[in-house]
Amino acid sequence: MRTDKVHMADSGKLLSQLADRISYLIDIKGNSEWSNVGDLLGRVQGLRQSLFEIKEADLFEEIDRIEDRVSFLEDRVAEKLGPAEIVNIVRSPQRFTLMDILENVYDSYTELGGEGDCNIDPAIVVARATISRRVKNKLYSHQVMVIGHEKGRGEEYRNGGCARPWGNDKALRYMRVAETEGIPIHFYIFTPGSYPIEDYPGAAQQIARNLYVMAKLKVPMVSFISEGGSGGAEAIGVSGLRLMGSRSYYSVISPEGAAAIEGKIREGEKVPRELVKHCAAQLKITAEDNLKLGTVDRIIEEPPLGARRDDFPFFHRLRYEMLRATDEVVLKTKNFRAFRAYALKRREEEGKEVPEDFDLFIGWSLTDLEIERLLEFRLKKYMELGKGYFLENRNILTEGIRKTKIFASKTYYDLRYGLLRPHHRNVQKVIEEVSSEGSVFLRKVTEPVRAAYDFVFPQPERPGKIVRSEGPERKSIFAEEWESYVSPLANEDCTVTCPNASKYGCLDLWVPDLYGEFCGVCPNCGHHFPLEYQWYLENLFDKNSVHEFNDHIASCNPLGFQGYNVRLKKDIKRTGRNSSMITFDAEVWGLRLVVAMLFSNFRGGTVGTAEGEKFVRACDVAGTTRRPLLAYIHSTGGIRIHEGTLGVVQMPKCTLAVREYNDNGGLYIVVYDNNSYAGPVASFLGCSLYQFGMRSSRIGFAGPRVIRETTGQDVPPDYHSAKNALRRGHIQGIWDRREFKKNLHDALMTLGGPNLYYK
Amino acid sequence: MGKERVLIANRGEIALRIIQACKDLGLDYVVLYTKEDEFSLHVRNAQQEENGFKKAYRVANYKDPNEVFSVADEAECTAIHPGYGFFSENYGFARRAAMRNRPLTFIGPKWEVIRDLGSKINTKRLAKDLNVPVIPGSDGSIYNELEAEEVAEELFFLQKEQGIQHPSILVKASAGGGGMGIEEVSHLDAFRRTYRRIQNYAKRQFGDEGVLIEQCLRDYQHLEVQLLCSSYGEVVHFGTRNCTIQSAGRQKRVEVAPGFDPAVCEYPFDARAVLDRIVKYSVRLAKHAGYDNIGTWEWIVSRDGSPYLMEVNTRIQVENEISACISRLNGSNEPPNLIRDQIRVALGDRLGFTQKDISFEGTSIEMRIVAEDTKRGFAPWCGTITRFDYPDEPWARLYSHVPRDTPYKIPTEYDPNFALAIIWGQDTEQAKERARQFQNGTIIEGKGASGESIITNLEYLYDRIDDVLQF
Amino acid sequence: MDINLNDLLRRYRSHPFEDYPVETPHTGVVFLKVKEGQTVKGPGGEWLHRPGTLLYVIERERNAKRITALWSGQVSGIRLDIEGQFVEAGELLFSIRHQLDKEEIIDRILTQVLYILPAPQRARYFLAPEISAKMEKQPKEGVSVESGDEVLIMSLMKRDTVISYEGVPGALYKVYFKSGDTVEQGSPLLGICPPDKLQYVQKVIRRIRTEWEK
Repeated sequence: MRTDKVHMADSGKLLSQLADRISYLIDIKGNSEWSNVGDLLGRVQGLRQSLFEIKEADLFEEIDRIEDRVSFLEDRVAEKLGPAEIVNIVRSPQRFTLMDILENVYDSYTELGGEGDCNIDPAIVVARATISRRVKNKLYSHQVMVIGHEKGRGEEYRNGGCARPWGNDKALRYMRVAETEGIPIHFYIFTPGSYPIEDYPGAAQQIARNLYVMAKLKVPMVSFISEGGSGGAEAIGVSGLRLMGSRSYYSVISPEGAAAIEGKIREGEKVPRELVKHCAAQLKITAEDNLKLGTVDRIIEEPPLGARRDDFPFFHRLRYEMLRATDEVVLKTKNFRAFRAYALKRREEEGKEVPEDFDLFIGWSLTDLEIERLLEFRLKKYMELGKGYFLENRNILTEGIRKTKIFASKTYYDLRYGLLRPHHRNVQKVIEEVSSEGSVFLRKVTEPVRAAYDFVFPQPERPGKIVRSEGPERKSIFAEEWESYVSPLANEDCTVTCPNASKYGCLDLWVPDLYGEFCGVCPNCGHHFPLEYQWYLENLFDKNSVHEFNDHIASCNPLGFQGYNVRLKKDIKRTGRNSSMITFDAEVWGLRLVVAMLFSNFRGGTVGTAEGEKFVRACDVAGTTRRPLLAYIHSTGGIRIHEGTLGVVQMPKCTLAVREYNDNGGLYIVVYDNNSYAGPVASFLGCSLYQFGMRSSRIGFAGPRVIRETTGQDVPPDYHSAKNALRRGHIQGIWDRREFKKNLHDALMTLGGPNLYYK
Repeated sequence: MGKERVLIANRGEIALRIIQACKDLGLDYVVLYTKEDEFSLHVRNAQQEENGFKKAYRVANYKDPNEVFSVADEAECTAIHPGYGFFSENYGFARRAAMRNRPLTFIGPKWEVIRDLGSKINTKRLAKDLNVPVIPGSDGSIYNELEAEEVAEELFFLQKEQGIQHPSILVKASAGGGGMGIEEVSHLDAFRRTYRRIQNYAKRQFGDEGVLIEQCLRDYQHLEVQLLCSSYGEVVHFGTRNCTIQSAGRQKRVEVAPGFDPAVCEYPFDARAVLDRIVKYSVRLAKHAGYDNIGTWEWIVSRDGSPYLMEVNTRIQVENEISACISRLNGSNEPPNLIRDQIRVALGDRLGFTQKDISFEGTSIEMRIVAEDTKRGFAPWCGTITRFDYPDEPWARLYSHVPRDTPYKIPTEYDPNFALAIIWGQDTEQAKERARQFQNGTIIEGKGASGESIITNLEYLYDRIDDVLQF
Repeated sequence: MDINLNDLLRRYRSHPFEDYPVETPHTGVVFLKVKEGQTVKGPGGEWLHRPGTLLYVIERERNAKRITALWSGQVSGIRLDIEGQFVEAGELLFSIRHQLDKEEIIDRILTQVLYILPAPQRARYFLAPEISAKMEKQPKEGVSVESGDEVLIMSLMKRDTVISYEGVPGALYKVYFKSGDTVEQGSPLLGICPPDKLQYVQKVIRRIRTEWEK
């Protein structure tokens, strides 16, 4: 068959195809030395130049030889395709892009919010498209919203598929349009990551907003991942089903980035290729790995060396899979039996050729009840992410007690807030109306009523104590005999220089003063020196009111990342804690609240599965007990790279949990201290409606080095300052540490209202 | 134990007086100075007296505690005398001196006492507990407008009850001081606006929106009680002073001891009884607070003879010597030296005498000679002093860091005070007469940047001598 | 008021240096980190946020403070005798001979072209808060001032006096001191460029730019 083709085709075209195939191999291997492919390419180029000087027969003979060689090499590459090679496949300019999908998977489409380079952000493409299926020789078509990254074919303006904040905002806008129109959304993720700039409202803030909206978007969503670069991928990634190409990658960080961190490579220095390869393998970024970890739901088979732009059989398969996935998300909400039947049928087809026909047509619009179920399933699905990849160190006995307790307290709070609450509110209102007349005379009248009312609806504290008495798993973090807490930093007779000394003429500070009476704040310019998280536990909350829970949930090494166990153990030993998140009940001048705290000493305050789970459970506790939730971020360096995409999916997971809590009336406040960057800020922290920054804190998406390396531009020293975050509308205010407690109390009172709870 | 070496963390005449006190007590001393003070006498004297070790260290700033401790260690000092101003009432400084790895004796009260009495609010509360009268008003910072109005209303009511013609109140920023953030309100209707303005000002300036409200006293005399205490619980007083004569910026210019003299003025109250009361109250408070060094209790006495405690100065004061001048120990002719006693008790001595050993004799007047234009809002004058001369009299003493033999350029960084004259007389009339005589014999010449002659407050001081001890 | 630009340029060309003394900011033990004749770099980066070459370390109260160069140039007259010794405040350690660049020459020559507000007294000076806020917002455009505007605060003998600008209205072209610095009497504080002189000033700048290259 091949020889027929050779004779019929134009030799020039054949040579150019060969050249493409060889360049593709060079792309995949990342160098031209491998098996002398560089020379092979040279031979092809030579032939193309001397096309008319060689006899036709010789030429075709040579072409044949080269093609044999190329095919042989392709097979060899395919046989041993490592994660690093897959990354190269994905990045190859020959790989298919979103525009190819729009052309080949959909019947027709209209691009929204821009065209080509005339666009809000050409890295994000949004289109209203139709996708059709044949059922018994009849054509049915569906309306969908397609949103994805466009890497472009070398066009610089596409920015390699790195969405700018306004690009993600465009995506968000059209998600809402889809919601209004009630049509499903197909997301296509082709991004190495978000463009790390802080222009309004900041990369992290925009991603967080997207996640927050997607959490409760009332339409079926399906996503397909070709290049899933961490936070950038999540910005348009929440969906009922997550598909992934078999030659795609989905990762917490680029292998190069991981290598730079792991190898402690200094800025500007070259990262060794072997280290990159090693990291690519450690990060578990392939489709198989992600399926195993549960971070994607299904793999779409690609050709052995990945699908390219003209791979029509692949597009055919993709169309089928997108239809099928959307069907499943829709059917799940309708009727479980029908879904089961459908799913079984489809499973039979697994591994077979793509069928030409569907045996039934499934409409994609949902009723209100179905929407409710859709959201429920979405929440449930995301809550399951990462389960089993953290440790729960607990013996069976305490587990039993804990479960009983949770049940008891849930029953109590449900009863109290669920059944009695409406009545409670009415009585409250009457009394307030009467009392607000304000006269002493009236007080006499209302007093007995109030007493009776208090008897019927006692304050939550009293019965609360009975139900949730001090159990073995709730213990005070500090021994009671500690009268007042002084930072251990203060125990040194020396001075330090304020970083603003040259600007404001601050005198050197005596360390015992600074970390004692001054609360780590320069009295001259107000610069905040970092303090350990324990200081906050002691000074921010009422004495002995801090009761930790879920401290049995521990971080582990779910990916088996080489060399990580040792470092993790070291941190556990050093900090005496087993994750970077502490969750506890506490009181601020008598106001009870639930706190989730990320602290810097444990793996730089990064978030992995254990931290995500603890946060979700803290949301649950705050929700059941009807208390405000405070996320105090002592410091966070982002998602823990050693947990790979298991860490990344904590972003949507925690955001969904917080959204659920908020929608049920919860008050969620975030306070950033020191340094807060990347994933957590771009999700469950950044999504908070009320965020505050401590003075001298830095808040953003990526640090200055990452910005320099990805954008090639330097940023001003105060780029991530709290003041600039305030200016961008990311945070609502800047708090002084010395007034933290007062500010927090005020915020709880004003934002939370009389019940510290919305509803 | 080796010989004590005192670091003098101050400048000007007080540094000179502390040098003298150290020498009298046989202690080593070291001084600090800044570039601007290079030609000040306290530096020159110290440098001239160097014998075996360096006695004068140039530092960046008198107000940088790190410089003081750095030099103290380098010069192997064992104690620090803060003088007045600078670190004298800084409990943080005193605490650091006591708690650092190489501790130094802070010549002043222990830091806890400085902290507790340094807070006006705290002092007021303490005074109330001990039935010591204070200016009527809030006894703590007010943050709540309703509460503030309640206090204001009550103060107006009380003043009306006392028959005060034009009652008024003062609204002050709690964290403020030195005349900043104070406004007077004479009508309750205008209160709310002023309150809000001060609250905003306080929040902006000090980061604390707390406000104090107190009765505005108009016609009053400013009195002081000089106390000396030891760490053994001994408390003695050296009588009272009157510091009513002040410049526009509430800076004292003429002080006199004793506080009242019924021989020269008919007071509308029993002056001796009032002086006894404020002494009694001061001693009571000092004992209760565990006061252990030198200190001054500042009082206000209104025309009806009611005393109100204003604040406690936990340090040596500029005018300490007029109290010493009218005091006699066991009938000796030589007046005591309070700076010497202060150093002694700080280094652990007992007082060595009791109240019974102290008697009083005569009147003493202090005049602060300052290069300032008393006719133009007491604006400081700067330039070079070319001649400075004054009479040598047995009844007068003059302290100045300005050399008499060379021209002296007044540094622009500090207060323009350049001399203190202390006069003693058998009685008030004689003291006043001698003060005038001293003034007449004092010659100050100098030139400003553009050749104009020096402006001093000599004439002003001369005029004000008449007002001494008058009410 | 015309200036002899050629003379000025000739003078700067024959000696295009400024010797900056490096003095200790406070007491402490000094450890020198440069050698005689060494070339040092001043602060760099777009926002001058990268510190210059480390010159010396001064340790006081167990705080080893690293002092970096504020100007580029060559180290000269280094005092090796103080290495490892306790020194007083304001002790001269060495000088940095800084080669003036074109812009610095322009700044210097402009003091003779602009309307200069000199220091009336030796005192500490601060920019009036309003002016400094405006300058922070729009540093490039220049803030315009008129007679009667409060431009400076003079801190003298612990008293603050507001200084009003008296002179021709114009744009605040140059601030010659750092807020909080002590300025000698008669030294320039502000350089103001009246609108009618703007063209002339720009011409001077252009001329210096072209001439200096030669």
